[in-house]
Amino acid sequence: MNLPRDRERDLERLLDDDGGELGALYRRLPRAEPPRRLDRSVLGEAARAVQGRTPRRHHWVVGLGSAAGIVLAAGIAWNVGQNALLQPKGAYHTAPTVVPVEPITESSLRKRDHDNTSQSAAAAPAPASVPVSPAKPAVAHKTAPKPAAPPPPAAVAPEPPPAPAMVPAPLATPFPTEAENRAESAAPAQTGGALIPSDKAIESKQSSASDALDQAMTSHARSSAPPAPSGSVELRRDMQLSPDNWLAHIEQLLHQGRRQQATESLRLFRRAHPDLPVSSELRALEN
Amino acid sequence: MLAYAAGDLLAFEMLYRRHRGLLYRFLLRSLRHRADADELFQETWSRLIAARERYRPDAKFTTWLLQIAHNLVIDRFRRQRPQASAEETETVLRNLDAPESEQPERALSEFEQRRRLQLALEELPEEQRVAFLLRIEGGLGLEEIGEITGAGRETVKSRLRYALARIRTRFET
Repeated sequence: MNLPRDRERDLERLLDDDGGELGALYRRLPRAEPPRRLDRSVLGEAARAVQGRTPRRHHWVVGLGSAAGIVLAAGIAWNVGQNALLQPKGAYHTAPTVVPVEPITESSLRKRDHDNTSQSAAAAPAPASVPVSPAKPAVAHKTAPKPAAPPPPAAVAPEPPPAPAMVPAPLATPFPTEAENRAESAAPAQTGGALIPSDKAIESKQSSASDALDQAMTSHARSSAPPAPSGSVELRRDMQLSPDNWLAHIEQLLHQGRRQQATESLRLFRRAHPDLPVSSELRALEN
Repeated sequence: MLAYAAGDLLAFEMLYRRHRGLLYRFLLRSLRHRADADELFQETWSRLIAARERYRPDAKFTTWLLQIAHNLVIDRFRRQRPQASAEETETVLRNLDAPESEQPERALSEFEQRRRLQLALEELPEEQRVAFLLRIEGGLGLEEIGEITGAGRETVKSRLRYALARIRTRFET
């Protein structure tokens, strides 16, 4: 190998990209490499340095994640709350008169009757407008001393439409006002006109006949087998008849072979009308 | 390096595999002792790892790596022995400036050429050797060598000229 003697030219060749002839010779020298133990040592140190940093980043990520979770949960809760507030609000718009608890006063009942009437006329959903109140059966019981008198169909409000049903449907029937209750007590024929006889005499005796019926039922229960429920209903119905019709009905029962029913009815008739005479056929039945 | 500074260990492994040989040969030929080269090799990477967050991409990674290694090499030189004197350098240059007719022309085998180059590198003064190695092993330019060694461009050129003259002398003897 003949190296050029010109030092400037030597330097220019050395500064070439390939380093000139000297560069080529240098690249042919044994290329020493670091031993493996140094590789392991350096890479291990680099890994430890990164791992030493990782926990700090990990804590930061955990903190950020926790904060994000809290914000998300709060957002969901707020959204659910908003929906819950908005939905009943719409329901109130459709039935704004729902007031579940309200003292039952005469004015409020009148107002409710008025509302029901107008809602029935407009075919609006009525059920929600009637509050739930356990007072209804008590009032009905108090104002309907005649047990056999069903409520007048005309007084029942139209069937409520199926729907939102925040309040049960059976409460659609409006409450009778106190004034109506008083009027009903004073003139019972107006409310139960179809079934209650207009005969004042018979009407006045009904209470005592009812007592007699109770006694007869009690004695019958003591003396014989318990009567069928239908028998007591028929006896109560017999009491509604006029004396002549009652006697005719007893004879009809006897002719139909229903001797037991005829005997019970005759016994009741005797208690209700002890002064009225009966036929020999029926007298024989008493024996 | 930025990726590693952000915690990407794989990025460091790629950098290491790319530069491990270059750094090791630079250290080995600068220090001429394997034990010293091993020690400073590990120390260089340790300092780089510790300073990973101070790395700025305006500097070439190779330059930054060799800068750290060079500082360690200079510290080691200062603890071991003094630099070659100016008189020694002038003697070498006088011999190199002799007429070409007085220089023996020999054709050497490739093996002999590599051996003589190794010997010439070992005999170079430290500053010249480092400058030569930064150029020939690290592929750095005059400005980069000056930046690493803290010398001016002309000083770097001078050191390279002296290194080349010494090497040529080795080949001609």
